[in-house]
Amino acid sequence: MSDQSAVLNDVRRGMIPAHIYNDQELFELEKERVFGRAWVFVAHESEIPNAGDYVVRRVLEDSFIIARDEKGVVRAHFNMCLHRGMQVCRAEMGNASHFRCPYHGWSYRNDGRIVGLPFHQEAYGGEAGFKRKGQRLLPAPNLASYNGLIFISMDPDAQPLEEFLGDFRFYLDYYTRQSPSGIELRGPQRWRIKANWKIGAENFAGDMYHTPQTHTSVVEIGLFREPKAEKRKDGCTYWAGSGGGTTYKLPPGSLDERFRYVGYPQEMVDRMKQMLSEDQLKVVGDDGFMISAASIYPNLSLVHNWPKVADTDQVLPFISIRQWQPISADETEVLSWFAVDAEAPEEFKALSYKAYLMCFGSTGMFEQDDVENWVSLTNTAAGSMARRLLLNSRMGLLEDGTEVVPALGPDQFHGPGVAHTGYAEYNQRELLTRWADHIEQPVKAASTLEVGGAEQVSVSQAGAARPAVPEPADQDRADQARADRLGAQA
Amino acid sequence: MSTPATTPVSGPAARGVTPVDLHSARSVLGAHASRIQRTGRTLPFSDERHLQASQWLVDEAWLLDAQAYEEWLELLTDDIHYLMPVRVTTALGAGYDTSPGMAHFDEDKYSLSRRVARFLTEHAWTEDPPSRLRHHLSNVRTFATDDPDHLVVDSATLLFRNRGDVREGSFVSAGREDLLRRTDEGWKLARRTIMVDDAVMRMQNLAIFL
Repeated sequence: MSDQSAVLNDVRRGMIPAHIYNDQELFELEKERVFGRAWVFVAHESEIPNAGDYVVRRVLEDSFIIARDEKGVVRAHFNMCLHRGMQVCRAEMGNASHFRCPYHGWSYRNDGRIVGLPFHQEAYGGEAGFKRKGQRLLPAPNLASYNGLIFISMDPDAQPLEEFLGDFRFYLDYYTRQSPSGIELRGPQRWRIKANWKIGAENFAGDMYHTPQTHTSVVEIGLFREPKAEKRKDGCTYWAGSGGGTTYKLPPGSLDERFRYVGYPQEMVDRMKQMLSEDQLKVVGDDGFMISAASIYPNLSLVHNWPKVADTDQVLPFISIRQWQPISADETEVLSWFAVDAEAPEEFKALSYKAYLMCFGSTGMFEQDDVENWVSLTNTAAGSMARRLLLNSRMGLLEDGTEVVPALGPDQFHGPGVAHTGYAEYNQRELLTRWADHIEQPVKAASTLEVGGAEQVSVSQAGAARPAVPEPADQDRADQARADRLGAQA
Repeated sequence: MSTPATTPVSGPAARGVTPVDLHSARSVLGAHASRIQRTGRTLPFSDERHLQASQWLVDEAWLLDAQAYEEWLELLTDDIHYLMPVRVTTALGAGYDTSPGMAHFDEDKYSLSRRVARFLTEHAWTEDPPSRLRHHLSNVRTFATDDPDHLVVDSATLLFRNRGDVREGSFVSAGREDLLRRTDEGWKLARRTIMVDDAVMRMQNLAIFL
């Protein structure tokens, strides 16, 4: 592996070696050091509302069964049979009390515990040969949720999710906590694009500068109330904790008027006023900013926008959650969900969904032009010439590091982190600086599990199989103790 | 010649899977759509109605290949429902194989008209330079309905799309169920359900129509 420190130092000063968007060696490092430790989104609890509901999701090549067990506990297990390594569940979603491996018939409860091992006595001599008791599918190394968003980390010692998200939670709440019931997700639409995964994450984190050019066509066809896409520069970008995003500047008005301006009916505004903190409401009501696109490091993005959905002046807001799932250095699988407050009126939900389909996702009119650019960029970054080019990602900074526009003061922006109005690349730099810090740090070798072997010596491995959201009941703690043993070093 | 006894009745779905003619009714935005359904067996290929439906589909495919979208929009009724569910892999017998409440397209005339209007601007970059498109059409089966002014037509379409010079082309394979309505201006499309064969699309976007 060649020394990447020059590349990483360039990235940290905002000069981006163009080849990082299509580089096999860096991709291998990303797999190990970015996705081997970061918290990666896999599902939302609303996708598996009932006992037995499951979805199968991947973190890179690793397939996980995300299931709600019979006690209502959300669990994530590696989708590989403990016997010969066959994929246990081959559907993408469904409801099941058990999963049976089609190869030799081993079966598992939806909480991961093994229940069926054909000819255990005859073939293995029972427990004396193969310890079936307490064995379960290999749990995700680390599992946690925030506002129903379920994340996996491949690092058993990862910092707690809430700490990882940090102050970005303040902004995540606007998308995911508009009522006590939170959001419900539909989808995802999934499609593969020949583009590097970092480009989408950077774009959603803070690229207000592309809007007037890339998205001219959607403004021209009257999808938005604003006649000019340049209005974006009146908004601000912010970075806090592990994420950052963009906002639109709202016209003068009260808090209620501003929420209604983007299309929320008063009953939803009333619930948001109950749910959001004083400062969260001040960002809208006093500061006049409405959150729009955002990214959480490394590869989760959010969208909030408010187009017209019929030939009237009425606009409707929609929320989308999307993931840039790396496939290779030059290919990404996009997973794009529609999200809506669970307590929203049914008519609002339907029209918000329509707004989503028109703007984002596999058919979205915004998304279509974005992806064309990203595919082209990735393709151009593959060759040797791209290694001679350091792309300037220092927008918003003078050569000596002075900010072109000073950061907003606490009376201008009531959110945590740092916010600036106008076009700039603060957030793209924040995202890639975290990337560089991770790429630089090797990860510890993972522990291994010896299936059915002698009783494992219990080694304290705090995160090794931290099971579930919410906290497991007592019975599950007992199960968990066994799972912890399984997760221990062989 | 009488119809052979083995000709399948309409049965448009594998067991355990939602029949295609119910998707429009169950979709989030299909409430306005016509609910007219097929009746009886496939019309003989020599039937005048089948010939008209087949020609309509071939002519339409040519418009889509040529990206003559304004003309295409003229072929759609004002109450069109244009639906392309998201397919998901589920266990046999799960009873569904589309993502509940989600689609790629769930369109009415307004949203389709915006999509067409966007292609007509000078700033729809994803189609500038334009793709080379070919909609390969086959397996056309026509069914009568209880209303002589409506036909239900099943077809298969294979779209090949190629962009730029060296990029690999991509395919979308799908089955379609269409409702055609006779109007003063000829047959028009009143409802289309597109059952794509990919769970994960292998095309950079769906800036195309099927």
